[in-house]
Parts: sequence; structure tokens; C-alpha cells
Amino acid sequence: MELDELKNTWDNSNNPPEQQQLITIKMIDQMTQKKYHSKIKKIAYPEIIGVIICLISAFFIGIYFYKLDTTFLQGAGIMSILLLVTLSIVSFLSLRQLNIPVDVNRPYAATLKIFATQKLQFFKLQKINAVLSYLLLVSILILMSKFYNGRAISEIKYFWIYSFSFGYLFLLFYSKWVAKYYKKTLQQTEELLEDLQQYSMNN
Amino acid sequence: MDKKETFIAAIKENEGFIFKIASVYTNNTDDKNDLVQEIIYQLWKSFDSFNQKSSLSTWMYRIALNVAIYQLKVSKKRVLTIPIDGQVLDYHENDNSTTEEKWQVFRQQIDNLNLLDKGIVMLYLDNKSYDEIAEIIGISPSNVGTKLSRIKEKLKTQIFKKQ
Repeated sequence: MELDELKNTWDNSNNPPEQQQLITIKMIDQMTQKKYHSKIKKIAYPEIIGVIICLISAFFIGIYFYKLDTTFLQGAGIMSILLLVTLSIVSFLSLRQLNIPVDVNRPYAATLKIFATQKLQFFKLQKINAVLSYLLLVSILILMSKFYNGRAISEIKYFWIYSFSFGYLFLLFYSKWVAKYYKKTLQQTEELLEDLQQYSMNN
Repeated sequence: MDKKETFIAAIKENEGFIFKIASVYTNNTDDKNDLVQEIIYQLWKSFDSFNQKSSLSTWMYRIALNVAIYQLKVSKKRVLTIPIDGQVLDYHENDNSTTEEKWQVFRQQIDNLNLLDKGIVMLYLDNKSYDEIAEIIGISPSNVGTKLSRIKEKLKTQIFKKQ
């Protein structure tokens, strides 16, 4: 389809039916009374739940820290707390990004620039999240056996063989999936930013 | 004419474009209805800030396109909302299958463009002048011309690749 054909389809595409009104006085009154809830809202439940879980887990490890009787376990405990706090911060940053005030009066290109920049930042945060989550998985595994079995991991036969083989496989597939999932979008976003940069400079 | 009536008249005048933007930036009817609602809501919220430096229609197009972008950003973070009036927005896809088919091809073509090109091409298709497109998008009119020539080339390449 060339541009002229696209125009033809565009002109003939679906408009709202004549007899239906898109907006009425009643709807304006509802909007004014804030009965309508904007979808450009600052709520992101998964991130909030994630932050709460991370902080509760860090708190739990802190309370039972006295049970960790070797330097190795204490190291794993400190690492887990640090990772959980860092993950909370990463989630908080994602949330903050979503909370940046919306200005719909900007030119479209300016909005796109913000959109693309935030998208790239979001991808960076996602990458950090993936690596930290894997490290957390390892450190939590070490702690769990002590907390629930009362035995150090070094005393459990085959633990290292299984946990690391599965862990490695998991990381391998997970990272490949993440890379494949984001590659195209990432590339498109970078191209869009370059495009915007070029036309803003010439402006 | 009071403010509400002026607003309703302005929406009526530009509703075709609002619907088309919603159709291009979403993939299903629910999302489309949500986007239409959101555009109208944001237009009403910002109506007082319209400073008449540009025409009302230019201002509306700009807001509508911006809202579509913000909607993309939050589309995976949906929250429950109270529809402003479900009945009114329950319009039907009364197109026949040929038109629908053509629309699908249109979507495929336009979805291959990046968001900047998509915005420009939609305004062009809606008969906006280079100056108006430049004002809405925020680039110079000469850049609009350059962009449109490249978009035409891109579309031709897409057809060539398909063949």
C-alpha cells in the first residue's frame, strides 16, 4: 500500500456512528466531579508488591541473623539483605519513572523523546533486576537450608551440584529469553531516539 | 455558548481523528475505548490551558497524540476505572469485511513505521498542512517534507519486500 492508498483506507475507516454522541454534558459533569478515573495513573501494583516482599524478607533475615553461626552464612545473610534492599530501590526507581507528571501539551516529538529515554532506562533497570534476582536466588538458597533445616549447606550432600547446575541452566535460558524479548524493542527505541535527535537538531 | 458546549462541539468536529488515533495505537476494542475516553478526559482537563496560540484543532491533535503515547507507556499497568459512559462508547465495528481487510493491511503498513513517522503520516492522511503537522509534532515544516518523502520510500520498500 502506498501513501495514496493508505489515505483512501484512512478516509474510509470507521468513524463513530452518526447517531451516537462521543461526549455529553452528563459525561463532562462526571469528569468534573472526578468520577472518571484517568488511566494515566500512578499506580503500579506489581512494583509495590515487589518492594513490600523484598523489605519483609530483608527484615526476616535481619531478625534471624543470630542463627547464622558461620562467617560464610553471615556473609550470605548480609548479601541477601543488601540485594533485597537494592531490588526495592530498583523497583522504586521504576515506580518513580511512572510517576513523572504528565504534560500532554508538549509537542509530540518532545513526548516521544521522553518516552524513548524512559524506555531505555527501564530496560537498564530490567537488566539489573535480572542479574540481582539470580544472585538473590543463590544467596537465599544458602540461607533457607539453615533457617529451615538447621543445617549448613556444606553438610547437605549434592546441594552444590544440583543448585548450581539448575541455577546455571536457569540463568542461561532466562538471559537468552530476556535478550531475545528486548532486542528488537531496544533497537527500535534507539533508532527512534536517533531520528528525534536528528530532526530536533535540524529544527 | 458555554464552555461545556464549546468543548462538545470541538470534540464533535474532531471525533473522527480521535477514533482513528485510538484504532492505530491499540490492538483491541477495550483498549481503543479506554484510549478514546482518556483522550477526551485529558482534553477536558487541559481545556482551560488552551491559549489560542494555535487553532483548537491543532491543539486537540497534539493532546490526542501525546495521550496515545502515555497510554502505550502505562498499557501494561492497567487499573480498574469507572467508564464515563459505557453505552455511549459502545459503538460497533460496522465495517464490511473488505473495509476491515483493508484496515488490517493499513495497520500492518503503519505499524512498521516508528512512532514519529506514525504521528506524521496520520496527520498527513488527515489532510493537515505541513505547517500544522510541524506545529503538532514540534519539528520544522521542511523536516515534515523530508520525513514524508522518506516515509513514502519506506512504504515502497515494504511493498517490494512483500513481493
